[in-house]
Amino acid sequence: MAVKKRFPYRAALVACNGGCRTAKDGQGCADGCIGCGACIQECKFGAIFLNEYGVAEVDEEKCIACGKCAKVCPQEIIHIHECANYIVVKCSNKSKGAAAKKQCEVSCIGCGICEKTCTAGAIRVTENHAVINEELCLSCGMCAVKCPRHVIYDLRGIYTEIK
Amino acid sequence: MVTFKVNGRTVQTEKNQKLLRFLRDELHLTSVKDGCSEGACGACTVIIDGKTCKACVPDTDSLDGREVITVEGLTEWEEQVYTYAYGKAGAVQCGFCIPGMVMCTKALLDVNKTPSDDEIRYALRNNYCRCTGYVKIMDAVRLAAKILDAGVLPDDGDQNWAIGNRVSRIDVEEKVLGTGRYPDDFYLDGMLYGTALRSQYARARVLSIDTSKARALEGVEAVVTAGDIPGENKIGHLKHDQYTLIPVGGLTHYLGDAIALVAAKDRETAEKAKKLIKVEYEVLPPVHTIEEAAAPDAHKVFDEEENNICAHKHISRGNAEEAIQNSKYVISHHFETPWTEHAFLEPECAVAFYDEDGDVFIYSTDQSAHQTLHECSLVLGTDKVKVQNALVGGGFGGKEDMTVQHLAALLTYVTKKPVKVKLTRAESLLVHPKRHPFYMDMTMGCDEHGNIMGVKATVVSDTGAYASLGGPVLERACTHAAGPYHYENFEIEGTAYYTNNPPAGAFRGFGVTQTCFATETLLNMMADRVGITPWEIRYRNAIRPGEVLPNGQIVDESTGLIETLEAVREDYETALAEGKPVGIGCAMKNAGVGVGIPDTGRVKLIVEDDEKLHIYSGASCIGQGLGTVLVQMVVTNTDLKHEDIVYERSNTWIAPDSGTTSGSRQTLITGEACRRACEKLMEDRKTGKSLKDMRGIVYYGEYLAKTDPLGANVPNPVSHVAYGYATQMCILNKKTGKMEYIVAAHDVGKAVNPLSCEGQIEGGVVMSMGYALREKYPIDENCRPIQKYGSLGLFRAHEVPKIKAIVVDKPGLNVACGAIGIGEITSIPTAPAIADAYFRYDGIRRYSLPLTDTPYERKW
Repeated sequence: MAVKKRFPYRAALVACNGGCRTAKDGQGCADGCIGCGACIQECKFGAIFLNEYGVAEVDEEKCIACGKCAKVCPQEIIHIHECANYIVVKCSNKSKGAAAKKQCEVSCIGCGICEKTCTAGAIRVTENHAVINEELCLSCGMCAVKCPRHVIYDLRGIYTEIK
Repeated sequence: MVTFKVNGRTVQTEKNQKLLRFLRDELHLTSVKDGCSEGACGACTVIIDGKTCKACVPDTDSLDGREVITVEGLTEWEEQVYTYAYGKAGAVQCGFCIPGMVMCTKALLDVNKTPSDDEIRYALRNNYCRCTGYVKIMDAVRLAAKILDAGVLPDDGDQNWAIGNRVSRIDVEEKVLGTGRYPDDFYLDGMLYGTALRSQYARARVLSIDTSKARALEGVEAVVTAGDIPGENKIGHLKHDQYTLIPVGGLTHYLGDAIALVAAKDRETAEKAKKLIKVEYEVLPPVHTIEEAAAPDAHKVFDEEENNICAHKHISRGNAEEAIQNSKYVISHHFETPWTEHAFLEPECAVAFYDEDGDVFIYSTDQSAHQTLHECSLVLGTDKVKVQNALVGGGFGGKEDMTVQHLAALLTYVTKKPVKVKLTRAESLLVHPKRHPFYMDMTMGCDEHGNIMGVKATVVSDTGAYASLGGPVLERACTHAAGPYHYENFEIEGTAYYTNNPPAGAFRGFGVTQTCFATETLLNMMADRVGITPWEIRYRNAIRPGEVLPNGQIVDESTGLIETLEAVREDYETALAEGKPVGIGCAMKNAGVGVGIPDTGRVKLIVEDDEKLHIYSGASCIGQGLGTVLVQMVVTNTDLKHEDIVYERSNTWIAPDSGTTSGSRQTLITGEACRRACEKLMEDRKTGKSLKDMRGIVYYGEYLAKTDPLGANVPNPVSHVAYGYATQMCILNKKTGKMEYIVAAHDVGKAVNPLSCEGQIEGGVVMSMGYALREKYPIDENCRPIQKYGSLGLFRAHEVPKIKAIVVDKPGLNVACGAIGIGEITSIPTAPAIADAYFRYDGIRRYSLPLTDTPYERKW
């Protein structure tokens, strides 16, 4: 279904990248994507799919930012963002550092390096994970480059690999 | 080892470093400017695999297989298109952001041949520009898109360079293509890197300094402390109170005070060496606020002073007290304005070395090469110093004081080698003087028709750790607090206090940005009280030719405040009729230093061996376009074509001292000196001499702008030779509360270059949108500024509303072909106009800047 989109483009973002890459047997992250597929079912535009880690991922080209996926997500980890803000945090883990580290190999441990690095004061550790304020963000990517856990991504694939 | 491509060439590097460092230090691709190295400014923007990236962000190790493009990698056609478009649109001022902007333009137009306005805004929005207000850069992108689409450059070169024509500025090409050099772009053989160890405490006594370990570090060439200074330790723009290096036993004044200097073979070694210097302090409690500074038992910022008062001014004419008592309407209020950071794109940098004459030669980015010469000579104890202005990446008042020049000179003196000293962005934010925060209490009395009867005010400012220009700023704040209106009873008392905060000094508007906010806000409140519009109350009170200002000066025929009010009238009334929230403000600003201080412009015109006329003047072009102004001045006043004229950047051995680029003075003062030199040149031309015949002849022009001192015992003192006048208005969107439209009408006398003039207006307006709505420079209780460049709250491209810049071209004075300066006034009435618009929007009167509860506030 083709829908004419208006600039500035917006799209849904799933703030999880991992599918608990280390942990198995129920030891994983309780906050991330559980691969339930509710968002996929809800999306009329075929803009969401499960990637190789079993977590939902959005095709920004197809997404029209209607926000329905965000409403149905039982984990509440989908939000709408502006596509021009290509530096994003893909983690919603609320556990403290050590526990978060055990749960997933690409989890935010709330170390705060991003917060210290950010020139724009646009990123903060909230509920033990990094959150970007897109209004303030200058999309420089310094946080993505400095993140020791590869939690912060450049969706364009320049500063970080896309996955 | 990684391999990637830069501008089509395959490069390899072993050392992992930031791409910016690799491109600049190893490949010497100096179009890639280092404005902050922290991802904020965008001056180092390059294109990696088709996407814009700030080169200070990625490590070279992460770039294997990538393709990097810088401005140096543009095709010849692209070079032509972007040079033409940026020049024609008037998009280039200081130029430091421009290569980054060009990269953004290219990345956008490579994938989108017909971008919408919003797409253009978004393409530029992660890059800061502090000069242009982005308006003309966006015009340049639109124009470039058209030309790329058409495939040919328009054949409409600037034929007429006489005054009044919208010619492209002379420095466009070197700034667009990145070939022009700022001090940081000089890489000399064997050059050392110098840096300063700064005080750990804002107020402390230095007990001992141990540099032995630092000296022993390999690669360190010198560690310098106060005892090594051959001349004066203390320098300063006016008052010599600023320590180059704090000696043992001395008191530190702020966190930017240098204790020791290091020169080493590279930056890393210099930084390492600084950490090895051991300083013992006796930590003392700092003076952090005006209240603390003014307290009877206050700690003293200076050992040398009796108290913390830097300056005190009392100005009175008529009887304000009585006039206010007899007024029908009286309004009083307290106002506050914040610290503001200049945030020029180019951090301070100087490169010094010994030249073939045995002189210490300094490449400097400053607002007066002669001032730099004077202060560096004091430090070195010798006149054997030369200063050459490189390009200056913005100043706005923040480059009037010495920051790095004397340090580089001193390190060269000690090491006998070339030395570069460049401030990191964090140092720049800490070290150079800021805009003064002011507390203001003001009372205004009006009659039943809204005629101002009298104004009385008390203002205090925090001038921080050193005098810098705190005295003159306070004075200008006081003299101009009266506003551009005809009334006779005015009294103001002002005090500037030293604290241990970073110093405050010159900043575009020079104190008037502060007091104008108070005066204009009171006038807006008064209009409501009287029951007339804010426009009408200004029209009734506006100063007209032949009338007397509250300072006693009779204004001349060039006075154009009424014309600026009339210029905005239609837009204002339309907005009112449509029920839109609209606010208005007026201002006046002197051109020239004034108040009896000798203020001289000097120009030499010399025909060199290339048979061209070279313009030499010791007047810094800091991005405002002085070079273009002087070329247009020569074309207008001689029979020469612009191709025959070369503008030389300011230096101290040929170019005569033409004063500091300050007080909106260069166009008028140096412009008139230039015109006078042209007269002499034309005497020779009229005898039939060709340029060839004139080789080697020096045509010298000088102009002294004579004024009366404050309090001069004459009935109508001439405080300033000229004033610019302005009216600005702001219309808000009724629904969103965002700015929709700004109209800025300026009386500039004769506009030398209306395109440049509009650029000044747009840039000044956007700078003051930041001042009005968002910019902060908070300082913590330890007197440490806590903001980084990216969180100062500077306006970004996508936030700028439509701005209509109106150049009211009213015949000016009989000097400089009628031109009056424009630099500062553009920033002055903006904040009160915006503040009043928000009052009309939500009924809340705001008395402090930045305004709270607007959509522009930085919020989480």
